Amino acid sequence: MGGFPRSEHTEMNQWIAVGALAVVGLLIPIGMMVVSYLIRPSVPETSKRATYESGEVPTGGTRIRFNIQYYMVALLFVVFDIETVLLFPWAVVYRDALGEVGVVHAMGPMLLFVGILVVGLAWAWRTGAVEWAKSPRQVEPEVDRP
Amino acid sequence: MTGVAPLQSGETYLLPERIADLTGLGEFGVLGELVAAFVGAFIVGSLMLAMTGVAGPWAKRKITAAFTDRIAVNHLGPAGIFIIVADSVRLLSKENIIPEDADRPAYDLAPIVIAASALLGFAVIPMGSGIHLADPEVGLAYVFAIAGIASIGLIMAGYASGNKYSMLGGLRAVAQNIAYEIPLVVTGMSVVIFAGSLQMSTIVEAQAEPLVTVAGLSIPAWYAIVNPFAFVLFLVANFAEVGRNPFDMPEAPAELVAGYQTEYSSVYFVLVYLGEFLHIFLGGAIITTIFLGGPAGPGPAELGIVWFLVKIWGVFLLTQWLRSAIPRVRIDQLIEIGWKGMLVLAFANLVLTAVIVALIDAPGL
Repeated sequence: MGGFPRSEHTEMNQWIAVGALAVVGLLIPIGMMVVSYLIRPSVPETSKRATYESGEVPTGGTRIRFNIQYYMVALLFVVFDIETVLLFPWAVVYRDALGEVGVVHAMGPMLLFVGILVVGLAWAWRTGAVEWAKSPRQVEPEVDRP
Repeated sequence: MTGVAPLQSGETYLLPERIADLTGLGEFGVLGELVAAFVGAFIVGSLMLAMTGVAGPWAKRKITAAFTDRIAVNHLGPAGIFIIVADSVRLLSKENIIPEDADRPAYDLAPIVIAASALLGFAVIPMGSGIHLADPEVGLAYVFAIAGIASIGLIMAGYASGNKYSMLGGLRAVAQNIAYEIPLVVTGMSVVIFAGSLQMSTIVEAQAEPLVTVAGLSIPAWYAIVNPFAFVLFLVANFAEVGRNPFDMPEAPAELVAGYQTEYSSVYFVLVYLGEFLHIFLGGAIITTIFLGGPAGPGPAELGIVWFLVKIWGVFLLTQWLRSAIPRVRIDQLIEIGWKGMLVLAFANLVLTAVIVALIDAPGL
């Protein structure tokens, strides 16, 4: 930290402040909930608590098996997310590495790494994995619908 | 890592340290530091909540009204500004109706998760005028990580409500977040290549020098000017990430009532709504810090907070402009824009930035 005049002021561990903000960030919503609990009325009535379905009587629950239609995309996300994590250290040292080991050694590994994933993405693209999957009911002709 | 980052942690005079010095709390050891940290955190938290308080009940209505040629709130106080007080009292004193199918602990926790995660992100943002809570070396990675927690809150709200609209909204939120998180982070990475650090203060400092001087006017080396392509990509990915138009699929009032927040009322609704605005401002704060020079601006350095607020309100105005001007995309289009468009462009931008930096730093190769 060479020569920087820094002993003049208090030095604290940074994460104390982050932790403090986490506590404040939890206390503010909880405080609001308490205030609201104290001033709001409570008029229990069963029909009021019915699930909202545009005014109709609700049919069926939501704990059902449901086609989320982006399963393949979610798998791809895991791969690419790990890739971004691994690229961050490279991005930080890149400028210094340019001076120390030259362009080829600094940029080459990244290009190879990204290249492999781009090939993977191209394959997923061709097989239709990066699309909103159509449910069987959408694919079948109109007459087959119940 | 020695010699990589020009600034090591601890060189920025942070807000809690300043408070400790001004009040003499620093002499009380760890306990004094804790108190100073809490005072600092409270200041930052209140500042951000005050901004959402102004934005949510008042500014949003006024801006939308201006776009649609209406007047909006105008009865309480000058330009209807006291609607903020009236709305807070009204919403907090509403009956809290909990739907009968709700999954209780998760249903109650979701609003807290959404609001708290957005607030926590502001810890590493340099706001100018000495308002900077913490400056860890992993600042940018931290803020992306914290902003990502909100998706957990959204899917908690969506599933636990026991409502079909809510569930669809929650699942859409996840589809959207996973499609745009990677373009967002990879575009942010192109800034890291320029700055050579993840530390927020270093990124801001790297944008301080003038890029070129045209007729006495010096244009600063903000990364929005140095790399406009990355800036536009980041803006678009950010709008998708915080769920604003044209990517407001998780709420989509015309299709899903209110998406994941359909079954929330009273204080829970306030918290979810608050969390949304906090996320818009957090997105604005990230954009400001890594692309718009943070608190930099003309005038003395003490004006930093003013310029910072001007910039994040600029981003907020842009979200409201888009809300009034651009129709919503369809969910399958959203996935395709994300994976076939933004992702490819983001990686192209990363490679392009690496090449440009190589040409700047080693012209002869």
